[in-house]
Amino acid sequence: MIAGVPFVALGRQFEAHEEHLVEIFRKVGRSGAYVMGPQVAEFEEAAAKAGGAGYAVALANGTDALILALRALGIGRGDEVITAPNSFIASAGAIAAVGATIRFADVNEDLNIDPEAVSRAITGRTRAIIPVHLTGRPARMTELNALAKARGLFVIEDAAQAIGAELEGRRVGGLGDIGCFSLHPLKNLHVYGDGGFVTTNDEGLAARIRLLRNHGLRDRDHCVEWSINSRLDTLQAAVATYKLALLDKWTRRFRSIAQAYRAGLQDCVEVPVDRDGEYAVYHNFVVLTDHRRELMAHLAALGIETKVHYPILLHLQEAARLLGYKSGDFPVAERTAQRMMSLPIYPELSSDEIEYVIDGIRSFYCKAAKAARG
Amino acid sequence: MPREGARSGMNLNFLPAQYDATDAKPVNHSYLTEQFADYPAIFEKLAEVVRRGDYTLGRAVDEFEDAFAEAAGAKHAIGVGSGTDALFLSLKALGVGPGDEVITTPFTFYATVGAIVTAGARPVFVDVLDDFNIDPVGIEAAITSRTKALLPVHWSGKPCRMNAIRDIAGRHGLAIVEDACHAITATYKGRPAGTFGIAGCFSMHPLKNLNVWGDGGMVCTGSDEFAAKIRLMRNHGLSDRDTCQMFAYNSRLDTIQAVVGHHLLQKLDWISESRIRNAAYLDAGLGGIKGVTIPPRDGDEVRHVYHIYSLLFEARDELRAHLERRGIDAKVHYPTPMHLQPAAAAFGYRRGDFAMAEHISAYTLSLPVHEFVTREQPDTMITAVGEFYR
Repeated sequence: MIAGVPFVALGRQFEAHEEHLVEIFRKVGRSGAYVMGPQVAEFEEAAAKAGGAGYAVALANGTDALILALRALGIGRGDEVITAPNSFIASAGAIAAVGATIRFADVNEDLNIDPEAVSRAITGRTRAIIPVHLTGRPARMTELNALAKARGLFVIEDAAQAIGAELEGRRVGGLGDIGCFSLHPLKNLHVYGDGGFVTTNDEGLAARIRLLRNHGLRDRDHCVEWSINSRLDTLQAAVATYKLALLDKWTRRFRSIAQAYRAGLQDCVEVPVDRDGEYAVYHNFVVLTDHRRELMAHLAALGIETKVHYPILLHLQEAARLLGYKSGDFPVAERTAQRMMSLPIYPELSSDEIEYVIDGIRSFYCKAAKAARG
Repeated sequence: MPREGARSGMNLNFLPAQYDATDAKPVNHSYLTEQFADYPAIFEKLAEVVRRGDYTLGRAVDEFEDAFAEAAGAKHAIGVGSGTDALFLSLKALGVGPGDEVITTPFTFYATVGAIVTAGARPVFVDVLDDFNIDPVGIEAAITSRTKALLPVHWSGKPCRMNAIRDIAGRHGLAIVEDACHAITATYKGRPAGTFGIAGCFSMHPLKNLNVWGDGGMVCTGSDEFAAKIRLMRNHGLSDRDTCQMFAYNSRLDTIQAVVGHHLLQKLDWISESRIRNAAYLDAGLGGIKGVTIPPRDGDEVRHVYHIYSLLFEARDELRAHLERRGIDAKVHYPTPMHLQPAAAAFGYRRGDFAMAEHISAYTLSLPVHEFVTREQPDTMITAVGEFYR
């Protein structure tokens, strides 16, 4: 008998792999090589493959991945960078962090940035586009790359939510100039703290980001460019490498849960679908409904946790006040933000729990239907 | 755009020099395996946090921050991603940015300067005195209308002349950010390093006196407002899950690292005292050797906690080779001061600009002084040095 379904249950994955993970902790803990140990390079090799690119550089977190990508491309003060207004804060925060100006472009109904809106947002100062593969669905990279090429812009993929996602058979992370990934605990591939990495096919960019993540040190005693410290802990790298081997299996599970939700709910709420050529990894399963508040309350009463990713759009945040945007500027993003809710989705979710969520939503709509019938 | 690192095949996955474990040498700078010999005790606490799924901030971080603040003698401690980030976030929280100058020492680790430059400001160097720490007299002379902050570095765990530096800061209305990355539990005239300025910045990198199993740092402050700002800035500027007050950064101390740090914090007094005792013993044994110069210790004024034990040695490089042959892991912290680094070319400094920093860089050598140095090892080091100069 199920009493509820938590939105996240991170402990389940740890428990399922406890023996291996504890061994990793023990091994790294006893080695003393806590910073830039050999496990970091091992992870980078595996991550390059997972990110569909020639090179990967492990970093402290996904935000730093975006910041260092921008820095490595020479983007800073006076430059403009275009991204989506419905992403997590970091997509915009990274642009501000390098001193560049954030410009937003509206999204399509699938929550990903609209290439036509991007095209309209380009000015003489625009240097790069950061499409976000939101919820694990690849953005329209073919159109965006063509646009970037025509206008001489860089494309930085914010793939924080999308590890393993594919477009036309190619993995995200290798589709633009640099791909940025997060290993934060809530991500499909996660470590036990903060972590991230970038992917790129450009050897020079990879080397530059390697410099930037470690004080700009060319060798032990020479600093060629002043920079910060943004290293992935050896411990987290070892955990990530172990889990990376399981990622494809987990991705298939994310997708089969998404399929179950879709089949069970498509006549009640608007459900996300894969378009031709898309292989989405469903970091979040976001449905659209006109009765969000009531539906979330109904599910909460059944012990089913749901969330909104994200209720306050970036251009309407206090932090964005100086950018001069206002409500109404991005109608699709604003409309979907009012109607969206995310259902629990993680590989450890049981069939019974999935069914319980579906039944919970269906019971709301039956009740609503009954009420409407009077 | 510097592309030096782009050369094909260059391996940039290296450790900074001081963390290079030279396992072969019996008298070693690296001691992490000994330090965590009691790992099963931390292990249980760690597994508990991981099982709970509590990996980002949360209770274990709060508890460690409180304990750290107490140990550092500060009102607030805020866990951040690294010591570098502690400096960077402190400068940003003060509004330091393009057009501003920050006065610091050329005799420091790269991160001090990296934090200033990453914040968008320009470092202005002031030479050090013969105790390796910044000269307050030089600070006063370097202040311009663009100076925004003073960034003294308590090198090797010896506090700078903080009363003089505070007087100068007060007279000119400047903020002080202390680079206390080496200096946990150090004191100047009885007052803890890291509590003189608006911010005291600490590192918990693996070979610091108090360390974790990866990167970690801490910002200490006596100001409620400054503490609140650092808390915002380390977590995307989020005041709650959905509200972003300011675009900022992600620089959190991992929860599992807080567990490790908290465990080790209980041994901090022993760690500091062991280092102080080892240093005093080495000073006594090496002080009489011709060719060896011990920097001023200012014993009554300061508690130097010896993150690094460095003296000046004639024929330093030959001595180092000699010690290595004797199985002693001697290191140079550091051979090239900041103003002579390739990255500093744009600042326009020249060799000769900071004579003391350059002199120290040429003659300094560090010997293992940590809490796991055995009873016999100091004599081994003293004998080997004596042999060399005989």
